[in-house]
Amino acid sequence: MKLRSIVSGFALLVLGVLQGAPAEAEPYLAVQEGYKCNVCHVNPTGGGLRNDFGITYAKVLLPAETIDTKLDAWTGKVGDMLRVGGDLRADWTRNTAPHTQATSGFDLEQFRVYGDLTLIPDRLGIYVDEQIAPNGSQNEEAYVRYGSTTDGFYVKGGQFYLPFGWRLQDQTAFVREVSGISMTTPDKGVEIGYEKNAWSAQLDFTNGTANTSGTGHQITSQAVYTKSYWRLGAAVSMTQSEAGDRKVGALFAGFRTGPVAYLLEGDYVHDDSFPGGRNLVAGLAEADWRIKKGHNLKFTAEYSDPDRTVAEDQQTRYSVIYEYTPLPFLQLRVGYRRYFGIPQSPTENQRLILAELHGYF
Amino acid sequence: MKMSRAVANGLKGTIFLLIAGCAGNGEGLDANGRPIAEGTVSIALSADFQSIQDNVFTPICSVCHVGGGAPMGLRLDAADSYNLLVGVASTEVPSILRVKPGDPDNSYIIQKLEGHAAVGARMPFGGPYLTADTVSFIRQWISNGAPPAATAAAQSAEKFGVVNVVPDSSEPVSQSPPQITVAFNQELDLSQIDPQSARIERLDPQSGAVLEMLPARVAVPSANHKALLIWPTHALSPGHYQALMRTAQPAGFANMSGQTAAFGAANSNGEFVMSTFDVEVLP
Repeated sequence: MKLRSIVSGFALLVLGVLQGAPAEAEPYLAVQEGYKCNVCHVNPTGGGLRNDFGITYAKVLLPAETIDTKLDAWTGKVGDMLRVGGDLRADWTRNTAPHTQATSGFDLEQFRVYGDLTLIPDRLGIYVDEQIAPNGSQNEEAYVRYGSTTDGFYVKGGQFYLPFGWRLQDQTAFVREVSGISMTTPDKGVEIGYEKNAWSAQLDFTNGTANTSGTGHQITSQAVYTKSYWRLGAAVSMTQSEAGDRKVGALFAGFRTGPVAYLLEGDYVHDDSFPGGRNLVAGLAEADWRIKKGHNLKFTAEYSDPDRTVAEDQQTRYSVIYEYTPLPFLQLRVGYRRYFGIPQSPTENQRLILAELHGYF
Repeated sequence: MKMSRAVANGLKGTIFLLIAGCAGNGEGLDANGRPIAEGTVSIALSADFQSIQDNVFTPICSVCHVGGGAPMGLRLDAADSYNLLVGVASTEVPSILRVKPGDPDNSYIIQKLEGHAAVGARMPFGGPYLTADTVSFIRQWISNGAPPAATAAAQSAEKFGVVNVVPDSSEPVSQSPPQITVAFNQELDLSQIDPQSARIERLDPQSGAVLEMLPARVAVPSANHKALLIWPTHALSPGHYQALMRTAQPAGFANMSGQTAAFGAANSNGEFVMSTFDVEVLP
């Protein structure tokens, strides 16, 4: 309790006092810059392969220092029709929890490569996102896209991530775990999207990530309104599965004040796979302080109630992550994460120290 | 100006923390965050399925692998995990069983937990990963043939059946019953129960003809998986009623060992008559 108070106080102090720093992005980058996802990414719902501007942003605007090398010429394009990219994340973590032995070690979190083949410019393309490590190769996304992803309607068909809430880098965030929709759960189906001015909207009809026997489906829809200093989004998803029907709703918002970008999300889930049904709630509040070019300090506070009918089972999670991007295509991340939950559960009271090396192109 | 900015910043910080809320104190809950009244008892980790369920699958894996959104359709909550693990082909590599009794090395769950599966990320996703000691208990359980929980195994020797139905035809009730309770002598296989299938019919007392069909809901209380509850969505007026529902298995209700217990023969809709009862007016 005392430590929680200290953490809370520290977050309040930083959020309240440090915003006087000189004014001057993942989704926080988009919020800081006032961009829609398709400004930097080929995929209009964000994540994965970067487009021309996304590469320029990674080379020039994001890093603390730009260097004069052949990298300047890199645009991600291989010929007129093919664009490629990738992300590699390797990390070291130390985990401690009450009554359990601390563990630590290095891990290759992921190495992914992306490719986008433009068959008809601004109209027809094929997109692939393949995780090639660790372990064997695993296809994350592979779809055909028809239409404009920047001005008007488009249709996707194949396997892709569902649009739902903030597409966070941290797939273990409570809002992503509780909603069950994240970048670990691609789904197969079709998506109709609309990108026009400040609006981004999607309607997806898919198998449902939990349906492996062909007996159900999932319908997901999201709409986001983006302005320079703020954005507001809503998402709903309904799954009919053999385990029981599941309905998920989310409201999310982002805004910036000076060098700080804020991300908020609240998710509500009703899951009939539990006897009598169960309601779950999760929330996220994130603040990203761009201390100066190439330096970002991220604070997150999260809340999860795994069963609204059960008292005193709630969990919270706080993180402080420092992200340093010294050079184009290289980022270092160090951070501390503290879980608070019921005292009976070591897992819900773990502490994590992490250091990550992120290379991308 | 500085003051207003400080106030605004303080407000933002406060909102930030309010949204985060506070963790529960765990009062009245077991180690898995469920009410102690549900009857779960914490037991030390061993090579027994129930122990692995209580110490690993429920508290760690079922954070994500649960409900209608469970990744790969793999639900690792207590009600579903055994049936979805043992002898079931993995979704990522269908040629490998999730748990192959007697062969931990060729069980996909071990490959995923140890991080050498052919496909995808090591589990638990994002870590922390299970210690070698913990995985060794799961390995040992699989080497032992991956038997069901010791309690379930003991129960399987007893014939599965119904021990009580309240209300039933033996005694009229004086007011609309809030629910019809059907008690079994063993835990039910919840995956075989269709929660949408229950309904109540008002019958003509003489001819038995159906006068009215009323919606009803069905559930198994999380505190007691040996009981089935059917409750009418509206209060029942005086009359003669029967409650019906379907199961996923035509043979009837199943326990966790796959034994079935039927309520007589199913009707043409595949429904079983769970209870016949009378609601009377108070004198």
